[in-house]
Amino acid sequence: MQLKDQFRFVRQNMKKNKTRVFMTILATAMGCAFLIVLASVGFGLQKSVVKEMTERRVITQIDVHGKEGDDGGSFRPINKKDIQIFEEVKDVKAVTRRKMLQQEGNFSIGNYQEPAQTFVANFPSEVKAGLELSEGRLPKGQDEVVVGYNFPLNLASKDAPDDRYDNKSQLKTEYRYSGKLIGEKLELTVRQLKDGKQEEKTIPLTVVGISKKPTKEWAEDRSVFISDTILTEIENFTGTPKGYLLDANSEVPTDQDIHENSFDEVKIYAKNMEAVQGISDQLKDLKYATYSVVNELKEVNMIFMIAKAGLIFIGTIAILIASIGIYNTMTMAVTERAPDIGIMKAIGANPKTIKRIFLLESSYIGLIGALIGTLVSYGISYAVNFAIPLIIKQAFGKETELNIIFSDIPLILPVICILICYGVTIISGYRPAQRATRVDVLKAMRREV
Amino acid sequence: MITIKKLSHDFVIGKKGRQTIIPVLRDISFSVEKGEIVTIVGRSGSGKSTLLNLVSGFIHPKEGEIWISGEKVSDMNEAKFADFRIHNLGFIFQSFQLIPSMTAFQNVELPLILKGINEGDRRKQTEEMLKKVGLLDYQDHYPGELSGGQQQRVSIARALIINPPLILADEPTGSLDSETEEELLQFIKELNRDMGITFLIITHDDKVAEIGDRTIELRDGRIVEEVRLLCN
Repeated sequence: MQLKDQFRFVRQNMKKNKTRVFMTILATAMGCAFLIVLASVGFGLQKSVVKEMTERRVITQIDVHGKEGDDGGSFRPINKKDIQIFEEVKDVKAVTRRKMLQQEGNFSIGNYQEPAQTFVANFPSEVKAGLELSEGRLPKGQDEVVVGYNFPLNLASKDAPDDRYDNKSQLKTEYRYSGKLIGEKLELTVRQLKDGKQEEKTIPLTVVGISKKPTKEWAEDRSVFISDTILTEIENFTGTPKGYLLDANSEVPTDQDIHENSFDEVKIYAKNMEAVQGISDQLKDLKYATYSVVNELKEVNMIFMIAKAGLIFIGTIAILIASIGIYNTMTMAVTERAPDIGIMKAIGANPKTIKRIFLLESSYIGLIGALIGTLVSYGISYAVNFAIPLIIKQAFGKETELNIIFSDIPLILPVICILICYGVTIISGYRPAQRATRVDVLKAMRREV
Repeated sequence: MITIKKLSHDFVIGKKGRQTIIPVLRDISFSVEKGEIVTIVGRSGSGKSTLLNLVSGFIHPKEGEIWISGEKVSDMNEAKFADFRIHNLGFIFQSFQLIPSMTAFQNVELPLILKGINEGDRRKQTEEMLKKVGLLDYQDHYPGELSGGQQQRVSIARALIINPPLILADEPTGSLDSETEEELLQFIKELNRDMGITFLIITHDDKVAEIGDRTIELRDGRIVEEVRLLCN
């Protein structure tokens, strides 16, 4: 019997009891929709969390915090030799290293001032890692500096009152420095406690560049990049490495040598996301303490994987319940059609053909149910994503700060659902189909036409 | 065409532990030659229906052998017998055994579908066959919309569509009036004469028995008489 004819048979048979078939398909569709919607919450939350994690950090970035000492316990900061090792690792795009001034530098221009974090950076590697300027150029001279994009926006008048910030925590325009900054003189004031007295030193600098606006909306870049020479000048004044600020009781740190040659912020940028894991593993073998969002993502994904498997399992129970309906429908169909089956067997239908027709019918019900369920669940998913933020807004009177996806249906989910549904359908349709092949010809034909 | 050797069969009735064995056929042996019409007669309960069911493969014999067209069908399993039936045997039943939800056309077409013939050839052959039995105009009618005679013609068309060398008929005229009975018997004779189809017919009707080349009478599960009718 040709497959086409088998399908025709199945369709004809299904038309004989439309209501029953419809109800069975409905139950299957509900089971599938339940499974997909339930699991979609897992997928949605995972997507939200991963998005949140990757948005806050550059995904190809690996932070290196230090190297484990030979004793196995203590960590030492990263030095120039380490940087050389990092740069030789395969698939490394750039290694940025920054030294940080160990006190907040106070920068002023005319009547405007601003405290800011001050760094010494290696500009070639910063550029390779993606540093771009919105204005000006990179520093050449020793007294030339580059400032962060948000630095000029926070350069406030010395007379500004306490309520100088607007409701978005931005410096009000009237207190903000409005002149041009590139080429202007900027004064850096550093402090140190000497013989119980606070002394100050002012170093003149020239602004030559302003960095580009950070891509992340929430990010704020107010840092100032000075040269190594200026840092040395500061160190000479403070008498401490990197301008470390002493208080009345503290003394100069003893591990001065290490600190002087070490970097405070070392970041390795991989060529692509796939390379991050390999680089992390290599550094781990070399006993460096690293952190990358990819490592964390792996753990988060693992947790969500377990959660999703659990949700799919619960959803499968719904499909199993629906399969009872399929079993019932198919058993009824076999009972009702026993006389027809008897006639078909009498004229020479192979039992296998009969079995196949019934299995095809139950698969038909299962697959149509699964498809309808999938469509419905997409609808529910969109509705949920649309409605829940509105409900939260109504309930709490403000919009959700986090852009949470409540329900997400990746293609794999309907595929899993359809496979589960198909499997369950075949199992539940198998016994009735088997029964159909055992219909007794003589008993079945004993009816009045 | 058909050879039956020492065929015996019995039915077991009753619940387990209190079963009763009822012998139905005992040591039946006979053969049917190609192109013959053989009728089997006997009273109700004589075992003639059981004999036909055994030859049809609907039940499995307890003892003895059945050979059809050189094949030992009594040893075949259900699936193998099904394949044998669809290629070699045509059936005519007393109560026609048409599928009520299928039209006359679909009922006649059914064996061809089971054989796996493609749609174009099926249509052609089915229409030809319906024309032959004079029901082409009724092809879209359901069995319930046809008279007894017409239904039996549909069932004959269904039997003939696979070009079987042998047709097994169980009381073919049992549900027909005398006029249609006459027509049907003529038709069987024609098929036998023109196409050389062998018939094994079960009947308790003398008129039907008369069309056979031979008549075998069964009583209490045994052959009591075998009559060769010379007039045919």
